[in-house]
Amino acid sequence: MNLLTSTSCDFSEPQNEHIELHRKRHGYRLDHHERKRKKEGREAHERSHKARKMIGLKAKLYHKQRHAEKIQMKKTIKMHEQRKTKQKNDEKTPQGAVPAYLLDREGQSRAKVLSNMIKQKRKEKAGKWEVPLPKVRAQGETEVLKVIRTGKRQKKAWKRMITLQFFHCFVPLGFSFHFLYCFSLYNGLRFKKAHVTHPELKATFCLPILGVKKNPSSPLYTSLGVITKGTVLEVNVSELGLVTQGGKVIWGKYAQVTNNPENDGCINAVLLV
Amino acid sequence: MVPDFIDITLSKTQRKTPTVIHKHYQIHRIRHFYMRKVKFTQQNYHDRLSQILMDFPKLDDIHPFYADLMNVLYDKDHYKLALGQINIAKNLIDNVAKDYVRLMKYGDSLYRCKQLKRAALGRMCTILKRQKQSLEYLEQVRQHLSRLPTIDPNTRTLLLCGYPNVGKSSFINKVTRADVEVQPYAFTTKSLFVGHMDYKYLRWQVVDTPGILDHPLEERNTIEMQAITALAHLRSAVLYVMDLSEQCGHTLSQQLELFNNIRPLFANKPLIIVANKCDVKKIHELSEENQKIFAELSAEGIPVIETSTLTEEGVMRVKTEACDRLLAHRVDTKMKGKKVHDVLNRLHLAVPTRRDNKERPPFIPDGALARRKAMEVDAPKRKLERDLELELGDDYVLDLQKYWDLMNMEETHDKIPEIWEGHNIADYIDPDIMKHLEDLEKEEELKEQAGEYESDEDTEDEEMQEIRQLAKQIKEKRKLKIMASKEKDIHGPRMPRTAKKVDRRILEKEMGELGLDMEDKDNSHYAGQARRSRSVAKKRKREESAPPTSRTRSQSASRPPRDVSGVRDPRMLKKVRKMMKNSQKDMNRMGKKGESDRHVFDLKPKHLLVGKRKLGSTSRR
Repeated sequence: MNLLTSTSCDFSEPQNEHIELHRKRHGYRLDHHERKRKKEGREAHERSHKARKMIGLKAKLYHKQRHAEKIQMKKTIKMHEQRKTKQKNDEKTPQGAVPAYLLDREGQSRAKVLSNMIKQKRKEKAGKWEVPLPKVRAQGETEVLKVIRTGKRQKKAWKRMITLQFFHCFVPLGFSFHFLYCFSLYNGLRFKKAHVTHPELKATFCLPILGVKKNPSSPLYTSLGVITKGTVLEVNVSELGLVTQGGKVIWGKYAQVTNNPENDGCINAVLLV
Repeated sequence: MVPDFIDITLSKTQRKTPTVIHKHYQIHRIRHFYMRKVKFTQQNYHDRLSQILMDFPKLDDIHPFYADLMNVLYDKDHYKLALGQINIAKNLIDNVAKDYVRLMKYGDSLYRCKQLKRAALGRMCTILKRQKQSLEYLEQVRQHLSRLPTIDPNTRTLLLCGYPNVGKSSFINKVTRADVEVQPYAFTTKSLFVGHMDYKYLRWQVVDTPGILDHPLEERNTIEMQAITALAHLRSAVLYVMDLSEQCGHTLSQQLELFNNIRPLFANKPLIIVANKCDVKKIHELSEENQKIFAELSAEGIPVIETSTLTEEGVMRVKTEACDRLLAHRVDTKMKGKKVHDVLNRLHLAVPTRRDNKERPPFIPDGALARRKAMEVDAPKRKLERDLELELGDDYVLDLQKYWDLMNMEETHDKIPEIWEGHNIADYIDPDIMKHLEDLEKEEELKEQAGEYESDEDTEDEEMQEIRQLAKQIKEKRKLKIMASKEKDIHGPRMPRTAKKVDRRILEKEMGELGLDMEDKDNSHYAGQARRSRSVAKKRKREESAPPTSRTRSQSASRPPRDVSGVRDPRMLKKVRKMMKNSQKDMNRMGKKGESDRHVFDLKPKHLLVGKRKLGSTSRR
């Protein structure tokens, strides 16, 4: 009892853990546990009612999410059931395990590595590449180049505008003029960086583009520097810190574009190792 | 929490922006449609994140006490980093939106624009998903922050400190209305608590801290650091609480050690030592060395006050002492400061000059002095009802009738009925009745003396008296008879005279008998009325039937119907009819009731026709 407290200060604000303190002092409501139990019991009914009555986009999203949940639940149940029974585990063999008749062979030796490099150089000369996307749909001219009419009566149609992403370099790698048209570019579609994924490390880096090596649709696009799906680019990999066998720093590597840059607004490529 | 945020924003975009677009629309319209969605989502994210950033306090802008407290509780670096991450996310989202809106300008088909919009929204949501950790941390900070006690660092404060379990929380519970938990184990109080009290018409804060143990600053944990923060930043009076009985588990020498260790924090603060739990052990019951400790402390000028929060002795003393000291200290500080002079320069106490050497002390009447003395002695003057009640206990009955002031004091306890024979006695009590009675009696006396009441009865002879008596009897009898006859209902309910129809012959006969001249009255009013209201049921005989005369040659007695009154011939009648129909045509077409009907119909009610036609069958409205 506070006999010494003055009566004028009537407020005492709730401080710190007042909820827990109240629970400790006064306990719960008399029907608290009953209500809680009943509420939890009703949850299944409410969820099913919601699932039945929902319509529209909300319903689609909800059902998708619920389906995923149910799959997980089933997997867990199956796992629990499996634990009770013992089964032969077929994946017991560790990685790198070699069958008995191959035990004497060595792994890839240095000679092999050297010959790999030579092979790569030969392939480069030939112009054939092993790329992740060997076949790509060719882009027609109407998709890539838009006709711009000029002249007093808007009749002349010698100008073309490039409507896809491109990489512009003043000295194109593979130089060619077209004798009929003249090309102009939208500056907004100029791209300098690509998101390059290293296939083994599974890591993605944002690397600057050095140039367009080859566009599978047409050599014209290669010379213009248009970037579509399947284009092979050269990217600056100095960020990755790769080093050759000889100790030299690698700073340029090829990468192939894996998405449609005109639809996604960004260039995603996979590094060709 | 973050998936909900993303869901809410995306569904908001879907609901609040237009949803219908077709391939064949103009390209600028398609572009605008999708750009709007991208910008809308960006705006939403931007707004929400900005709000979060704004609402959290900046550690540099708040009072150093709170900045330090938040550092102790939430780690300043982590806090700043989390907010920084949110800021970065906000900027990234803005950049993404800007880029994609720029790219969308070059989209030339619906498919391309749609894909760009999808990419943009996807990137924004991914950026936000990465902020999950920061947002969860900030949510916890927010919840904890909302429950922190509001301590005003600039007002008058008393701060309690000491070892755990010495009685700080009990003290604050006694002095204020704060309800801090008090338990026998150490570190019951885990954070700062504030309570408020009044003294000398001012409001004071009392801050309770968790106990501090005696180890160096670097080893202190979060709970103790809160107490140290409060000590360091609040300009308050410090009440160092010590446990005389050593029930807290630490000896007095240990408590003295701690006191000396945190002494530097008490610089410039009025200090009082509260020797608590003195109901168990008093200072003079302690051992010699311990008493010496207290003697030394008092010698340094620090007041040592024995208290017991259990029996409440000394608590008020501590309170008054601490408050007085703090007030004096604050006044001193203010006097030394610069702002005081502004006020002091404007204050002037005017004292009247003495005109002679006569002493003029204040005058206090003797009664007041006596009362003041009596108040000090505090002797009860008369026996109160309450005392009587306590004395009699169960037998006590509240008897207010004994205080009545009557002329005859023996009548005080007489029973007075309140209602008698259905009448409320209080209505008949006239407080001035005795006075009125006296006046009346006086008047009567005067009248009698004047001779008003001398009646003429002696002058009359016996005959007159007999006649009077007889007359009285007759009157009475007559009255009774009249009343009796009125009660009899011989004739029953009667028709009024005017409801009957009076025949002409009878009327003339009676009037003639009475003396009126009733010859030749065919043109009179009553005769005419009788002719007019000839009953319709009178049938005509068959032989006498004549072809019905045309309406236009009607007898003068019958009245023409209104639509042919004033019409000369059938041609005119036809025209009249046509005109009537013509004038009604417009009204009929509009469905009006008449020419004055100006009602406006609501043919397209809003509640039936407005609104989006959502999913579900839409075959009708």
